Amino acid sequence: MGRKRGGPPRGGRPVKSKPCVYCKEDVAYVDYKDYNVLRRFVSDRGKIRARRVTGLCPQHQREAARSIKRAREMALLPYVVGR
Amino acid sequence: MLIVIPELDEDQVGSTIGRFRTVIDRTGGEAGEPNHWGRRKLAYEIDHRTDGFYIVMEFTAGERTLVELKRILRVSDDVLRHTIVKLPPNYAHKPLPAETEEVPA
Repeated sequence: MGRKRGGPPRGGRPVKSKPCVYCKEDVAYVDYKDYNVLRRFVSDRGKIRARRVTGLCPQHQREAARSIKRAREMALLPYVVGR
Repeated sequence: MLIVIPELDEDQVGSTIGRFRTVIDRTGGEAGEPNHWGRRKLAYEIDHRTDGFYIVMEFTAGERTLVELKRILRVSDDVLRHTIVKLPPNYAHKPLPAETEEVPA
């Protein structure tokens, strides 16, 4: 994970990607019970954030998405905020 | 992990969990100690209820355990929601902030 993001940077310097937080901490399993951690990967509206926003690697983004869905089922995280 | 309706008191929650532990033991599994998160707010309303008792428990399953357990969880009126999750072999059994793990649940 610490590679630069590819593609022509639109208007400015290339963005250097930060390493995925789960890889950095060497987490083996993204737990749906850690809803406070997962909360960082959802928007104010409760939507799952895109990888380019979360900065997660593909594997962990998938695992985080799955855990968020499990957490929603158990009412640990909301499906929709507001409304 | 399961969510029990908030109308019960601690003892009743305990006996509800006891029923599931019996099922697990009887079908060849091994039930761990239940971890009570206590009564917490739900992120959204379920059946017009805004909170519930969260319980997390790890267990091992025998051949019949899952079928039986799921059936009983589904028909229990005390249980608002439940999830059973298979834990990875390298699962770290660390207690989370205000909670813990499970496979079950």
